[in-house]
Amino acid sequence: MKIPSQIFGTLAAACMMAGVLPQRASAQVSTNDFDALKKIVEQMGDRLQKLEQTHAQDQKTHEQDQQVILQLQKQLGETQTAVTNAQQTANTVAQVQSTYPVPGASQGPMHNVTLAGDAEVQFGKTAGQHSAFELADFAPIFLYRASDDVLFEAGFDIMLNNNTDVNGNRAPGSSTSVNLSFATLDYLLNDYMTLEAGEMLLPLGTYNERNAGWLNKIPDDPLVCDDLIPGSGVGVQLRGAIPVGESGQMVTYSAYAVNGPSSGASNSIADAGALDLAGNVGDTPNWHANPSGGGRIGWFYPWKPHYDFELGLSGQTGAWSDSGNRSWSAGVVDAALHLGPNIEVKGQYIDTWVETDDIGKIDPKGWYLQAAYKLAGLGLEMPYINNFELVGRYDRENDDGLFGGGAGVTKTDRYTTGIVYYFSSTLLFEADYEWWVSHGPSPQPFNGPGAPTSFVLQLSYGF
Amino acid sequence: MSTTNQLISIKGGRRPGILLALLASVIFASSIAIFAGPDTNAPPAQVSDAKADAAKQAKKVKKKKLTGAELYQLNCNRCHAERYPTEFTPAQWKTIMIHMRVRANLPAAQAREILKYLQEDSGN
Repeated sequence: MKIPSQIFGTLAAACMMAGVLPQRASAQVSTNDFDALKKIVEQMGDRLQKLEQTHAQDQKTHEQDQQVILQLQKQLGETQTAVTNAQQTANTVAQVQSTYPVPGASQGPMHNVTLAGDAEVQFGKTAGQHSAFELADFAPIFLYRASDDVLFEAGFDIMLNNNTDVNGNRAPGSSTSVNLSFATLDYLLNDYMTLEAGEMLLPLGTYNERNAGWLNKIPDDPLVCDDLIPGSGVGVQLRGAIPVGESGQMVTYSAYAVNGPSSGASNSIADAGALDLAGNVGDTPNWHANPSGGGRIGWFYPWKPHYDFELGLSGQTGAWSDSGNRSWSAGVVDAALHLGPNIEVKGQYIDTWVETDDIGKIDPKGWYLQAAYKLAGLGLEMPYINNFELVGRYDRENDDGLFGGGAGVTKTDRYTTGIVYYFSSTLLFEADYEWWVSHGPSPQPFNGPGAPTSFVLQLSYGF
Repeated sequence: MSTTNQLISIKGGRRPGILLALLASVIFASSIAIFAGPDTNAPPAQVSDAKADAAKQAKKVKKKKLTGAELYQLNCNRCHAERYPTEFTPAQWKTIMIHMRVRANLPAAQAREILKYLQEDSGN
């Protein structure tokens, strides 16, 4: 700290005056003046001492500040080092992530297991038979989400059948079958493409993929979907959708390769009766070497909620027997129309071409059309009535000799009419009556006693 | 007066009635056109501007991005009855939406909007 120059000046002046002035002059200074001056000098000394103390204290403080600054500088250095290390670590992680993507934190846990599916109980009365509870079915779907873009899903069908063996043929007693409906690994490659691999439901038409018990308004499958095309196949598939505009319109696509139908015969002869549509690689020799290829392209056009039209073209082709390189091919046209929340019409046309050893190239084909109307559309304010839906379906099939071998062609018409009662959106009761008109060497229904009519009640629950 | 003349006079007598009816119809139609039509007092440019604005608004409404709830109605209800958001937890909905995106070939952007809608009111 600076000592004021005035103090030094005063002191210096006093000293000079004491030394320079003659004795006589000093004798002339009064005692009072001398005391006053002395007092001033003493005060000056005190102030000087205080100032020196303050200065010493300031120096001490300065030294402490210096130490603090040094510590801070040291800490800053350490922080900079930590930041540099963190940046290096982040860069390393980023490099690792680009090679092996790690799903980021998102809402909820990364992994999740969810159970979905459906269950049914069926009661039936077939002409010439006693009525009975015919089957109980539990079809769980296990969904395991491994990350935001990886899902494993598997659907089972565990069914207890009365008067049926495990192969679905009419037999005394009951049997329980456990089937793997599908088991696939789905990987969302990007917004427009998904890779699917495993046992897949085949997109030949739409029924294969949308046929759970609580989705289908009639307990049994359309004839052509059961008899003429495979429901699933083992292989890989690329699929996705491309939106068109902002109205919900879209174009969908699927392209796949699967083992495909094969021969169920114990030899390599490709007779018509040996065609095993669900063959893949089963417990019978797989008599073909090359997989089948197929796909579907669809167009979905909604013009307002509950009003939409969907049209799809799909097909599959490949060898089913290496015997003379016999091929099996199918072409499917599917369509669905919704006119409000209460009216639905849908159907599929299926044409197949089968090369055989015994009857040459045959052309089994057929179609079905199904229509449904919810009574809620009538606007009646009556309890329970709004929960009913009327359903009707017509099936036509021409096997072109497929089922009877060389014995001839079987043509079948089936008419189904029924109602659905919705206890809730996922619990529904179905009552259907159907009758068959089938001519040829292999009249349908195959699994029945040849009865042309049957009455079926079913309780379905989707979960 | 002969019968023919009587007929002529009757026909002639009806003519003014028909003409009056026609005239009344024209006046009625014109009045409807005047009252129901656009404001003819407005300058032509304003009328065309109003029309253009109305068309633009209609186009905007048509092109408005669909909400998750609307997309849910469009896509989900065409295959199955409605499932309520409260039936599953947010994590379960996320899993189910991947399943449905693959199974029903839903566009990713639409699937995300639907998921957002379902998760907003989902169960615990």
